[in-house]
Amino acid sequence: MLLPTFEFHEPLSIKDALKLKKSLGEDAKLLAGGTDLLVHLKKKLITTNNLISLSGIKALSLITKEKNAVIIGSCTTMTQLSSTPIIQKNFPALKAGCDNLGTHLIRNRATIGGNACNASPAGDTLPALLIYDALALLETSDKKREIPMADFFTGPGKSCIQPDEILTGFRLPIPGKNSGAHYIQLGKRKSSEINLVNVAAFLKYDPDTKKIIDARIALGSVAATPIRSPKAESTLMGQTPEEACFFAAGEMARREDCHPIDDFRGSARYRQAMVGVLTKRTLTRAYELARSACI
Amino acid sequence: MNKFDVISTRAHRIDTPDKATGQAMFTDDLCRPGQLYGVLLQSPHPHARILSIDTSKAVNLPGVKSVITHEQAGYIKYGVSPARYDETVFAIDKVRYVGDEIAAVAAVSLDIALKALSLIKVKYELLPAVFTVEDATKKGAPQLHENSPGNLCAEVHQEFGDVAAALKTCDIIKTSTMKNKRQDGAFIEMQGCLAEFDNRGLLTLVSSTQVPHYVQRTVAMVLGMDVGKVRVKKPYVGAGFGIKAAACPMELACCILARETKKPVKMNFTREQVFMYSRARHQFTHTITTGAKKDGTLMAIKHECCLDGGAYTSFGIATVYYTGSLLGGPYKIANMSYDGKRVYNNKPACGAQRGHGAVIARALFEQQMDMIAEEIGMDPMELRIKNMMDTGDTTCNDLNMSSFGMSECIEAVRIGSNWDKKKGNMPRGKGIGMACGFFVSGAGYPIYRSDTYHGTVIIKLTEDGGTALVYTASAEIGQGSDTAFAMIAAEALGIPLDNVRLASGDTDMGVDLGAYSSRQTLMTGHAVKQAADHAKTQVLEVLAEQLLVPLEKLDIKKGFIEFAGDTPDFSALRTRYIKEHRGWIDNPDSKKLTFKEASRIAFLEKGSIVGTGKYKPHNLGGKFKGAAVGTSPAYGCSAQVAEVTVDMETGQVTIDNITDAHDCGKAINLTAVEGQMEGSVSMGIGEAMHEEVIFNDKGQVLNNDLAEYKIVTSVDMPRVKTIVVESCEPNGPYGAKEVGEGAIMPTIPAILNAVYNATGVRINELPLTPERVFFAIQDYKAKMAK
Ligand SMILES: Cc1cc2nc3c(=O)[nH]c(=O)nc-3n(C[C@H](O)[C@H](O)[C@H](O)COP(=O)(O)OP(=O)(O)OC[C@H]3O[C@@H](n4cnc5c(N)ncnc54)[C@H](O)[C@@H]3O)c2cc1C
Repeated sequence: MLLPTFEFHEPLSIKDALKLKKSLGEDAKLLAGGTDLLVHLKKKLITTNNLISLSGIKALSLITKEKNAVIIGSCTTMTQLSSTPIIQKNFPALKAGCDNLGTHLIRNRATIGGNACNASPAGDTLPALLIYDALALLETSDKKREIPMADFFTGPGKSCIQPDEILTGFRLPIPGKNSGAHYIQLGKRKSSEINLVNVAAFLKYDPDTKKIIDARIALGSVAATPIRSPKAESTLMGQTPEEACFFAAGEMARREDCHPIDDFRGSARYRQAMVGVLTKRTLTRAYELARSACI
Repeated sequence: MNKFDVISTRAHRIDTPDKATGQAMFTDDLCRPGQLYGVLLQSPHPHARILSIDTSKAVNLPGVKSVITHEQAGYIKYGVSPARYDETVFAIDKVRYVGDEIAAVAAVSLDIALKALSLIKVKYELLPAVFTVEDATKKGAPQLHENSPGNLCAEVHQEFGDVAAALKTCDIIKTSTMKNKRQDGAFIEMQGCLAEFDNRGLLTLVSSTQVPHYVQRTVAMVLGMDVGKVRVKKPYVGAGFGIKAAACPMELACCILARETKKPVKMNFTREQVFMYSRARHQFTHTITTGAKKDGTLMAIKHECCLDGGAYTSFGIATVYYTGSLLGGPYKIANMSYDGKRVYNNKPACGAQRGHGAVIARALFEQQMDMIAEEIGMDPMELRIKNMMDTGDTTCNDLNMSSFGMSECIEAVRIGSNWDKKKGNMPRGKGIGMACGFFVSGAGYPIYRSDTYHGTVIIKLTEDGGTALVYTASAEIGQGSDTAFAMIAAEALGIPLDNVRLASGDTDMGVDLGAYSSRQTLMTGHAVKQAADHAKTQVLEVLAEQLLVPLEKLDIKKGFIEFAGDTPDFSALRTRYIKEHRGWIDNPDSKKLTFKEASRIAFLEKGSIVGTGKYKPHNLGGKFKGAAVGTSPAYGCSAQVAEVTVDMETGQVTIDNITDAHDCGKAINLTAVEGQMEGSVSMGIGEAMHEEVIFNDKGQVLNNDLAEYKIVTSVDMPRVKTIVVESCEPNGPYGAKEVGEGAIMPTIPAILNAVYNATGVRINELPLTPERVFFAIQDYKAKMAK
């Protein structure tokens, strides 16, 4: 299998990239790490005459701190995210997602923007983006908008990005004190997996009442897109964080919040069962982290 | 015990510098001036009649040099076993699987060749297809081959002793079934080849193959050429595991394209084509009944098996026999019956893969051993030792264990894994299990009927006296055979490994049946040793004459001549040598006469010193039909202990430790032996845990890449403790026998027994995906609750 031929463009600024995108029209594809795009081109799942590489745009691979948030450039790689202290400290569930994606070689190239735009229901960083209430930062040559990740995905492989838009990055509010988050994925082998189920959870509790005051759960590989698990989340609110309520939340997520399908990687039945187990486990661990953070 | 100077060490592999620096040349690294690129047109349909093939547009595309179909390739049938030739290079009247070859194109670039492929118009009449054994054997099922009614490719019925009578005397009878999944070899180097005719009509095919010899014969036969006009060479090869152990249609198409275009032609499989071509381990469905007395004495095995064969025979006839014959040991069993069949269907053909035919039968049987042990309350190791054959014993189907360190292997893993302390004392969710296995050390007979030597070797001492050149047609495919043979040559000649150079993998160098059935160390190794002894004797004969010393008093060790008793005055020889090297500053001044001086003197007296060696097995047992499959000059054997952790909530199994003891007779190179043991374990774990080629309902492989076909990653690989047992095989060079395949035998059942130990659940289908294990645990819980 050979890559088809195409024109290769390498703009050095977001402005130039947007200009190119506008002038070349819908046919032009944005190339970040290429770990999805080049595979799709080779397999002839998509065709294009023009590739616009984003690698030359330095601004897109920066991780910067604002007052209460961190901005992650869309072209930061998994390796970069995983080794950046502000990410390690504030977003452990995202780091876990990055560490689980593919292999060393893939992680050196794969970007978080590419992972989001590829919009696989199984994408490894996507549940974390959902539970951290990330905003996607989108830009065209004449306007910018910010979209909550919960509204970003519109179907398998589909997102709300418009043809003339570029995803420049994500804004992730820094979680406050007394909170913790965790991510677990399950596959057939221990590395280089396409997830059967992946779950992230975020918990915040009131240190005085010892009750849960914020809970966010995101489920991957069990619906057309990565999804939040609203019914399970609501069972947790106001509860004392302990095994029984994590188990109950898992049961709720399993029964009410997921809609898996059968494919050659695994059955819907198994995926559904695992939503319960992984939800319980991520919550348990998220709470442990929340507690240990305040000691 | 002999003290060795070269073998029995951890010498560095002779190919390490090339491979570590990336200088090693594999087939795809090679280019010839004016070379064309060839590609194959393969069927998109699992079963269809070919109504017409129109190549006119493709032929006329600028840059295209040749388009061939069966019209150019001809009608000659080939395959693996001559009695079972059922393939032609290109489909003639119909295609039988998605990937069946129809045509090939050679063009000045790969791009153009691929473009041309899309211009070939084939008209098909689609035929109903069958993809499973069940569907293929139904009444009225579509038939793949005219002369194989019922899609039955092969069937075997054997009985040794009287199974029915023996079962009547048993106190315990266990019957169970097991099924694995079709495997892919998942070697790193995809098949590739480069064919070229010279101006005198000699065809040279460079190919990524395990068996230059068989490829040479098949190419000659299919192209209608003299064998002497076909030369097959293999450069470095990135493994084969059995899949590259026969000529493939791409090699044949490549040669035909080279003939048609009079240009060098290069072809490669993509990874997708590797999956399409397949030829790896079959899917087996076994039912075994084992009977024993209440003291644990094994009485009888009744074995039935069905192989899901795919569209052609390939190795299948040998596979179906191996499946039965290799249950004959390692335990004393007087009564054994086997009913095996292999069924055609519209999937790619399966073939041979590491542990040919025997892996899943072993996996099921070794679980039954554990079931029996549990029922009578005996330790599984004790039960096995109780029934173990002894050195020199012959199985009921005539396999002779001329050396047999099986009980030593069990003892080694018992101690190595701390079995006695762990067994029975593990918390729920953790388990320990063990199993044994054995395998041939070379097939007793070539694939075609012949009295041919299985290996010939030539060793020439360079005329300057310094170096031994070893020429063998054997196949180094990554396993380390070149190093092993260089070490054997050095040991036998009595010189350092550094002074041996070796060239291999070229049919011009002699006959060697190649790298399959774990044969080379024993068979080629024999021929190497003989050739080295022959060359050495010639040198010593000259010395004996010149120094007036009896031949028996002379030897060569570490590069020096050793004299038993007094050292005679050899100064005249040294002077003669030094005179030839006037002005050289490194002339010999050692107390001992050097090999270099001696072999130079021998050359001066006799001309080039050439030693030759050859090997073929002695007369092996078995007069019954099929006896030729399974008989071998020797058998390697092994025992393994697996320790696992099972996540009872998700079904995920983690393999924590493997302790592996293997009797390889004598380790020529210890590190290489351990490498084979670890490699076997990793392949066994892959098959046990996640590997499975998955098809859709159109006969297409869904997971045709290494992202979705899940071999073991370094993270899945447990710590493997390897223990080498040496039983000194009388039929092997320096006592050596196999390690390449036997070491995979116990891996799967050891894991299954450990999972049972952890969960209380026996799982009778592979792979042990989290899903399969999870539902097995759920079903078991539901059953227990009732
Ligand atoms: C061997 C292998 C293993 C893998 N394993 C995993 C895994 O375990 N988990 C997992 O989640 N994924 C995995 N992937 C998929 C892939 O690596 C990830 O999805 C990765 O994050 C994609 O990022 P990229 O930078 O390579 O994207 P690209 O391939 O460059 O782009 C992907 C898509 O996003 C679009 N795009 C990229 N950047 C932008 C932007 N800034 N604005 C708008 N559109 C944009 C592209 O046009 C394209 O459509 C694997 C891939 C391979 C080849």
